Amino acid sequence: MLENIATALAILFEPMRLLALFAGMLAGMVFGMLPGLGGVAAVSILLPFIYLMDSYSGLAMLLGAISVIYTADTITSVLLGAPGSPASAPTAIEGHALAKQGKASLALGVGFLASMVGGLFGALILSVAIPIAGPLVLALGTPELFMFALVGLCFAASMVGKDIVVGLAAACFGILLGVVGAAPAAANYRFIFGQSYLMDGLSLPIVALGLFAVAELIGMVASGGGIAGKPMTMGKWGESFREFWRSRWLIVRASIIGIFGGFVPAVGASASTWIAYGHAMSSTKDKRRFGKGEIRGVAGAEGANNATVISDLVPTMLFSVPGGPAAAIFLGALFSFGFYPGPRMVSETPDLMYMIVWSVALASVMGAILCFAVTPYLARLTRINFALIAAPLLLIMVAGAYQGTQTFGDILALLVLGVIGWLMKNAGWPRAPVLVGFVLATPMEQYFWLTTQIHGFTWLTRPGVLIIASLIVVPMLLGLVRKWRARQAATPTDSAGPASHTASDDEAPRDTAILLLASSLLLVTFAYAFYEMLGFRSNARLMPALGIVPGLLLSLFILGRQLFRLRRQGRIVHLGSRQELPVLAGILAYGVAMWLIGFNLATPLLLAWLLLKCAGMRLVSAALYGAIVYATALGMFALMRLTPPPGSWLTLPMPW
Amino acid sequence: MFTQPPVLKSLSAALLVAVGGLAANHSMAEDFYEGKTIQMVVPFGEGGATYVAAKFLEPFLEKHLPGNPRVDVQTRPGGGSILGANWFAQNAEPDGETILFTTSSTSNPYVLGMDAVEYDLAAMRPAYSLPFGAVIYVSPRTGIDSPAGLKEPDMPLIYGGIAAAASDLPTLLAFELLDLDIQTVLGFDGRGPARLAFERGETNIDFQFTPAYMSQVVDMVQAGSAVPIMTGGSVGEDGVLSARDTAFPDYPSVHEVYEELYGEAPSGVEWDAFQSIGAVTFNYGLTAYLPEGTPDEILEIFEQTIAAINDDPEYQERSVDAVGGYSLLPASEVTESLSEALQPSDEVREHLRTLLSEEYDVEL
Repeated sequence: MLENIATALAILFEPMRLLALFAGMLAGMVFGMLPGLGGVAAVSILLPFIYLMDSYSGLAMLLGAISVIYTADTITSVLLGAPGSPASAPTAIEGHALAKQGKASLALGVGFLASMVGGLFGALILSVAIPIAGPLVLALGTPELFMFALVGLCFAASMVGKDIVVGLAAACFGILLGVVGAAPAAANYRFIFGQSYLMDGLSLPIVALGLFAVAELIGMVASGGGIAGKPMTMGKWGESFREFWRSRWLIVRASIIGIFGGFVPAVGASASTWIAYGHAMSSTKDKRRFGKGEIRGVAGAEGANNATVISDLVPTMLFSVPGGPAAAIFLGALFSFGFYPGPRMVSETPDLMYMIVWSVALASVMGAILCFAVTPYLARLTRINFALIAAPLLLIMVAGAYQGTQTFGDILALLVLGVIGWLMKNAGWPRAPVLVGFVLATPMEQYFWLTTQIHGFTWLTRPGVLIIASLIVVPMLLGLVRKWRARQAATPTDSAGPASHTASDDEAPRDTAILLLASSLLLVTFAYAFYEMLGFRSNARLMPALGIVPGLLLSLFILGRQLFRLRRQGRIVHLGSRQELPVLAGILAYGVAMWLIGFNLATPLLLAWLLLKCAGMRLVSAALYGAIVYATALGMFALMRLTPPPGSWLTLPMPW
Repeated sequence: MFTQPPVLKSLSAALLVAVGGLAANHSMAEDFYEGKTIQMVVPFGEGGATYVAAKFLEPFLEKHLPGNPRVDVQTRPGGGSILGANWFAQNAEPDGETILFTTSSTSNPYVLGMDAVEYDLAAMRPAYSLPFGAVIYVSPRTGIDSPAGLKEPDMPLIYGGIAAAASDLPTLLAFELLDLDIQTVLGFDGRGPARLAFERGETNIDFQFTPAYMSQVVDMVQAGSAVPIMTGGSVGEDGVLSARDTAFPDYPSVHEVYEELYGEAPSGVEWDAFQSIGAVTFNYGLTAYLPEGTPDEILEIFEQTIAAINDDPEYQERSVDAVGGYSLLPASEVTESLSEALQPSDEVREHLRTLLSEEYDVEL
């Protein structure tokens, strides 16, 4: 075995292969940093290129990309507050809040190091795939997979924030988004409005981009300044190393959670990240800073998500069942090179297996080092007027969304979700629960029906189910006990507790009009969904009902409360939100223009508006910068081998 | 759907061949694709079985097509392959430079007449097919060691599948045809997760397509944890899905199993339904379609190219592991039988729709 480990290292240390690994890492870093474009985008863009190389180089290139995505996306999440990939939403919440307090380098440093540890744990579990990981994967039956998804949702529920009603309503809305498309247990299509686009359901990158990135982008363009209120100071990494060392056991536990996330097909990184985040919260005594910049939240989430993408490779290599979307593409690459994954492949070609382990380990470490190196330069970007960065960012988001199905439905979904995200942001409603509900609705429903069909009700007594269930029950009981003790010990001083809510943004009064609009829309949506749901077959109705029925009641309560407050407090006008309206309108107009005259003609108009009007550039420099951005965007489409969205009315054919 | 009556179609085809034969000289075909790029549209995501097969065939097509074009595999996923096929129907020109490479996921919704379908698959011109056989196997715990045992298992049979209207359809139709008592559990993510459930003992009857069977199930059979029972079969000389799968000559086809169980050849609407869906899923499992109205000259080019690829020793060697060692079927062996399978009689179509909506609760 030791011999194989050494041979594998020698295989990888061919100059060509190291170069391929490095190229993959660079691509992975870029795509990790671009908001919303996660591992799937990076790997599918690299895929055509690997056929030009020998098998080990090609695989090394993909592994390089897979291993650094969740390290690099920390940068976007922390600096922009828009998750670099869906599984880094907790980092976007905690890390960005820290960045706003001038602690960006702390959040980034801990994030990079935790990602690195997660990656190394992933590599470790891969190297013991046959003796340890394989039996573990087979031990997880359908009931255990269901329980894993359920635990994810329960942990997520613990971070709905201060206003529990709104948080739960948001999670219900997420479930509603998640059940769009084909029902797993009955051949029923739900909420597709006759559109074949919706038959597969909404795609996770588009939901994450729309809810988070579009809204952040609008806010930043409207506020006119840089991303950071004050210049971010970078380069003092010492504190982050100390904090990393303080949280080392949390990171180890988060990585182990992440590894299990990789064993569970479909639940994957998005769920394990939230479970690890929830674990970070339940294992931290002072929970007040969660949601307002808690470094342990970053440490937990980043440790988990990187471990998950790597351990996604375990079921891929052992059973040729990909653990996640990026692993699915990696599986296709293995097939194409004539490797047929299975226990036989792992035991008969140990060189390949250890080459993969080495690639992952090396890329994890080098990726973290690279991230440390480039961050000071990227941080400078945050002082530039955001309208300048918004232009390329918006085009990248459009390209990323359009990669989904290459139909206008992708753009439309992005914009609609963008408006929803904007409304929620300006109403002060948490968006993370929407994402969690969305991600976990499908696997929960699927595994629930499979479980009850296969096992009847005997599954409730399975040891695995009981062990996982204790993960929910034990912290809940401990929390209750702790609360009870605290109440007994400190009844008089409790009310005088430190109410130092630093993040003033969350507490600011919200615009009444937006709150009313958002609550009414929510109510109408749930009411319509309820009506539509009555027509579903019973097997297709349970999961939507779990989201829609409470959602309907909660949204009714929210609207009522809103009207009551309106009578008591009168109208509140929040100028910040109103200032963002023209930007929102501009972006929607861009969508309409794209539909009418296509990407190629609509984009120059958008650039002119963003650069001249919003950023106030001079004509000459705007033309020059605009041309560069335009060319880059078209280059991006060419790289992804996509034709930019054509117009329905008129299309500018490109001369090349 | 507007399809030409078959007589008119073959008449015009014959005329075209005659005229083409006079007009086209050999050199025209020789460099037909020179400097051109063929866009191979795969309506599934990167890394899936269809994508892998398309990438496997890519270098052979580039090598053997006259003029050595570049073949560019492009994915257009969505709507369970319907979006990509719709795009192809609306955008592809009949110039031989755009090909739709797809599976029964595209043809089943077409045969069933689903609303979302905007393509007329039967009017398109198949250029070649790659068979995609499948083996049905059981767990030894069931006590079944031969097809006859399917009728009296030691324990209730549980089958794990994806969705009734998807690639599970022919297997479910086979169970229906053989009148087996099997509990069907649908909702798995793919054949891989369904196989994992089999390995965990949650289900006890399963099927896998040839490539996955070779790499995963063969080992299980050797270890005694899986027992192969039958294959979907392949279309024989007589155009009936009765012959044995060429990759598994030792295992009987569904047709043979029926004969063994009931002492006569299967017939009637249940057999016709299985044959129609089974032929498209297994025998013409992966089919390359050219747009409606593609000239015969281009099809003739593919006919010769496919023959050349089948003769290529490298193809013969590499295809064993990659795609189960099947030879490619040229258009001449595909067109007629596939066209029949894609346009079953109204009775068969009605049977399928009734079965799906009543037994499996499918909304059509």
